[in-house]
Amino acid sequence: MTLQDILLIIIRVAIGAFVPLCFVAVSVWMERRGASFIQDRSGPNRANILGFRAGGLIQNLADAVKLFFKEDVIPAHIKHKFYFVLAPIIVCVTALVSFAVVPFADTLVLGDKEYLMQAIPTDLGILWFLAIASFAVYGIILAGWSSHNKYGMLGGLRSAAQVISYEIPMGLAIISLLVVYGTVSLNEMAQFQGQLLFGFIPMWGVILQPIGVVIFMVAAFAEANRTPFDLAEGESEIVAGYHVEYSGLKFTIFFMGEYVAMFASSAIIVTLYFGGYQIPWFNTATLLKYAVPVTLLLMIATPIIAKFVAAWIRKNNVSHYERENDPRVREANVYIKIVWGAVILLEAIFFLYLVFASGGAADNILVACLQICTFLAKTTFMLFVYVWVRWTLPRFRYDQLQKLGWNVLLPLSLLNIFVTSAIVVALS
Amino acid sequence: MSIKVKTIVRYGRSWQERLYLIEVFKGMACTFRHFITNFLDNSKLYVRHYPEVKPEITPRWRGRHRLTTHEDGTIKCVACYMCQTNCPAQCIQIEAGERTDGRTEKVPLKFDIDLLECIYCGYCVEACPMDAIRMDTGIFSVTATNREEMKMTIDQLRSTPGAFSEEEYKKGGA
Repeated sequence: MTLQDILLIIIRVAIGAFVPLCFVAVSVWMERRGASFIQDRSGPNRANILGFRAGGLIQNLADAVKLFFKEDVIPAHIKHKFYFVLAPIIVCVTALVSFAVVPFADTLVLGDKEYLMQAIPTDLGILWFLAIASFAVYGIILAGWSSHNKYGMLGGLRSAAQVISYEIPMGLAIISLLVVYGTVSLNEMAQFQGQLLFGFIPMWGVILQPIGVVIFMVAAFAEANRTPFDLAEGESEIVAGYHVEYSGLKFTIFFMGEYVAMFASSAIIVTLYFGGYQIPWFNTATLLKYAVPVTLLLMIATPIIAKFVAAWIRKNNVSHYERENDPRVREANVYIKIVWGAVILLEAIFFLYLVFASGGAADNILVACLQICTFLAKTTFMLFVYVWVRWTLPRFRYDQLQKLGWNVLLPLSLLNIFVTSAIVVALS
Repeated sequence: MSIKVKTIVRYGRSWQERLYLIEVFKGMACTFRHFITNFLDNSKLYVRHYPEVKPEITPRWRGRHRLTTHEDGTIKCVACYMCQTNCPAQCIQIEAGERTDGRTEKVPLKFDIDLLECIYCGYCVEACPMDAIRMDTGIFSVTATNREEMKMTIDQLRSTPGAFSEEEYKKGGA
């Protein structure tokens, strides 16, 4: 094993492990600020370090510190302490591990070696995700049961029933997807989506499987226990559901697990239906071929985007009331300097690449970086959709939930399989 | 004359609505509209930047109490115990003494209101025959770092000015 191999393993595992964890902070922030903007409030915007509020991100830090220092209570009535402690760990770890097979860039070719850009370089892909993701519910059931609390128990039961009913449409939606793609490897699926339909439409899953995407997304929302399917923690009926007895760090782990699961399922939705890491109309081969023009385009585009971002910061990072020597304006000045600093850094990297490294292995690395950025941007948008749906739709009643699962999604997904298979057979 | 009948339109029966998905997208369009306007220009948020921008208090607002005085600065309270008797939270403690300024016979030597007990019902104001206690200071946020500070003494209650003019206060319905 060469140094290059080891380095790439470290990079891939680091991305696979730390990106979901970093995105916990981002998605919590997006949830709170997004919710408040949707409801015409401002959300958390006061917590700061030396006057820097980072748009409310500092609030997450304060919350995390609070949760870390809270007393970690195990109530005296709990008989199975081991299971009680195990439950949040299962939820968090399964969520983290299910992200491990998602490719965040196309196969990286360095010299004569190829590297699958996944934390676990395996072809199992979607099978791994299905196996691991449905494990998360074991944590929830275990938490509900070992809490020895009627609310916890009810939450766990609801969650179990919900996952069983939505696992089936999800699996069937994936089957029709497999018929289209003809592979279980997520990387090959993403490569497939780099092609063009009729020569001008990107061949994304969402275009090939318009019904499948709706079914899969609904099922994924139910799987991630998000509104409108978060009956397992319906506050108005069963207090907090399965994590009613949890506090301190154990609650934090549950909380993080929920958001990591949300990230992992957004990543899967993006990979299956929204082209994965593919930039529309620019698949890996095209990108490699036109690496230099693309870089030039990026060199022009970055300052223009930065200008808009700077104007946006200047406009919005002010106090909306009479204030002498507004500290928020000073804050905005620093942010704008940071933005321009980042632009200069990027331009320098692109320039050095163009002058010294273009044409070699650096092309491949550049394309991989671009694809990682695209993948993260798409996933972030998908996370926003999660937040967006949460603050739009009210929670389903329990019978409505089951009715939707069994009476609507199941026949629809079966129909989808027949139609898809018929079309695929007719075309081949 | 026929009976007025208002027919309420029932939603959720047409096939577009039963499809649910179209309505979901409509709802999401609505929330996104709110999101994007506020995201691009956060001065449009319907919020008051509270600690810096105070809300407008009407004269009828029952804020922290004060004891009123005559024009010459002597206290109006005659220590009749009406407010203390009437107080449902029993937060008023009065100790009466002899009055020396010649207005009446009694004067409160001690007039303590425990704001931790007070429920801000305003019964003391209604009970007072002398208009000696009012809740028109406009102070709506009462905070302290310990219990003792929450106990208002007669001096604190006397020295707090009212936030409104006499006409405004009267117009407020008192």
